[in-house]
Amino acid sequence: MTDRNIIELRGVEKRYGTFLAASGINLDLKEGEFFSLLGPSGCGKTTVLRMIAGFQEPTEGTVLIDGQDMEGVPANNRPTNMVFQSYAIFPHLNVGNNVAYGLRGKAPKAEIEQRVAEALEMVELGGLQDRGASELSGGQRQRVALARALIMRPKVLLLDEPLSALDKKLREQMQFEMRNLQQSLGITFVMVTHDQYEAMTMSDRIGVMFNGRLKQVDTPTTLYARPCDQQVASFIGEMNILPAQLLGETDNMLSIDAAAFGRIEIERNPNVATSSKDMNIGIRPEQLEIAAEKPEDYPSTVQGTVSNVAFYGENIHYHIQVEGAEKPISVSVPNYFHTVDFKRGDAVWLGLQGASVIDLGTDTK
Amino acid sequence: MIFRSEASRGYTLSAPATAYVGFLVAAPLVILIAYSFWTQTYVTLDKTPTLKNYSEAFADPLVRHLMLRSIWIAGAVTVVTVALAYPIAYFIAMKVRKKTIWLLLITIPFWSSYLLRVFAWKLILGFNGVMNSALLMLGLIDEPLDFLLYNEFAVVLTLAHAWAPFAILPIYVSLQKIDPSLLEAATDLGNSPLQRFMRVTLPLTIPGIIAACLIIFIPTVGDYVTPALVGGSDGKMIANLIQVQFGAANNWPLGATLSLIAMLSVGFVAIVFVITATRLGRRIR
Repeated sequence: MTDRNIIELRGVEKRYGTFLAASGINLDLKEGEFFSLLGPSGCGKTTVLRMIAGFQEPTEGTVLIDGQDMEGVPANNRPTNMVFQSYAIFPHLNVGNNVAYGLRGKAPKAEIEQRVAEALEMVELGGLQDRGASELSGGQRQRVALARALIMRPKVLLLDEPLSALDKKLREQMQFEMRNLQQSLGITFVMVTHDQYEAMTMSDRIGVMFNGRLKQVDTPTTLYARPCDQQVASFIGEMNILPAQLLGETDNMLSIDAAAFGRIEIERNPNVATSSKDMNIGIRPEQLEIAAEKPEDYPSTVQGTVSNVAFYGENIHYHIQVEGAEKPISVSVPNYFHTVDFKRGDAVWLGLQGASVIDLGTDTK
Repeated sequence: MIFRSEASRGYTLSAPATAYVGFLVAAPLVILIAYSFWTQTYVTLDKTPTLKNYSEAFADPLVRHLMLRSIWIAGAVTVVTVALAYPIAYFIAMKVRKKTIWLLLITIPFWSSYLLRVFAWKLILGFNGVMNSALLMLGLIDEPLDFLLYNEFAVVLTLAHAWAPFAILPIYVSLQKIDPSLLEAATDLGNSPLQRFMRVTLPLTIPGIIAACLIIFIPTVGDYVTPALVGGSDGKMIANLIQVQFGAANNWPLGATLSLIAMLSVGFVAIVFVITATRLGRRIR
């Protein structure tokens, strides 16, 4: 990754009649970065991607690619290439001709053949040039689509939900492969996804979108630890969100009275807009201690009852009904030699440390 | 139980159609083949098998001439119709929203009889017809044009109009099936709209084009109403000769022979066409 901006979006807005598909999008993407646009379906992330690709023109604002204003530049003349959600493999062409598609007439035949062979090698489909488009599995189609786009040596590769059509196992494998590919090529990847795990495992940075607006742009770790509001907090991973009262504050710390957990000192979250008297806090399920006896060394402890148990294999999820909290509190425990094993109805203690509590500020809506 | 197994149920369900086709297609065909080996001796039929009809047909330059002209006219009708139908099908499939209404409009010619439509063309193209009157009135010509009617041109024009919907529909269906993301992918890979059409849209609609060509070519080769009404002596086709054999000339065996020769010729041309078109389509990359 370099410090040079490869894509700059300046006040980009897209309207369909009165519907705002995207608005106020300001975004700088660095050269060689793996960037994800994450959000629920209909949030406008695909619209943003298609405006970069040139399939849609912004109603307002500017799209710059490598410093060039893209206004009026059609998709076929942009230095971007796209991997489509459906992969869009040409059904009348075999694998080799699909991959060679964009180079035909632009390079000598021998060079095309060599580059096709290299591209297929790169996506681990070496030697499959003559395979028909209809004989490919889902994973292979995805790789062909990737090779077909990368052979063009784009400045930016755009990926529209590239893994959503694959089964879970293959998806996880492709996540690592695509990440490795991106790092070895050094090309900027911009991926659209609704899958937070996909975004987190692959990206250098993630932009979270809701209702056509870019809510927060940050690294996966910052998004997870310091989300800018409730919406982002609950979209990225699981989160217990509780109301709290702000009692006092210093430059870095807040003193709060959290529902059920009582008085606790927490760190100020620089990403939230404001934290006033009525605010919210978030606690990740894995950040809570659960024990049969009252745990030592925790500034805040509370007693509750197990209302639900879900076994996930690598960890166990408990729902704990606690007095003073509206919804049961989610707790996740690693399945570590089976040291904890509570049943529904068991009385348990929860322990909480200030460092585990996320300041979600006051909703300004 | 009548429907004991999947297979017997299948046979039962297809029995009416099988019987229908058997009696109305297979049986007449067998009779036609039989006739072609017999001889007409004035009012009676000589049923000793002979190849005389075939040698007579092949020797007659008129038969060859009419057969070639039929194929030429039908080919011209096919080319003209498909060339005109493609843009219409493209427009409906790609550019309009209310497709149903447009498809309904396409079928409007069918709301009147085929014969009436042929007569309408006669009125339009005739010596004192609409076209000539209009051109005269506008002062573009001094005397009526006489090359409009009673020739090959009139036959091609009339048939192309009559068969247009049959060409539009299969091409429309094949265009409709194209995944829009394929077109976007072609654009994304650097194609201009024209390149994209030549490299993606056209090859993917070849099955529709082939279907349209066959649907038009096969029946028009054997058409005899249109050539009889608007063809004049220049526009006569093989079917007119066959009709004469079964009618005025009262030589059914020769008529049967000519029918079979026409059928085989059409089949041959159609097969060569399908193979060539498919091969050409595969070469587009």
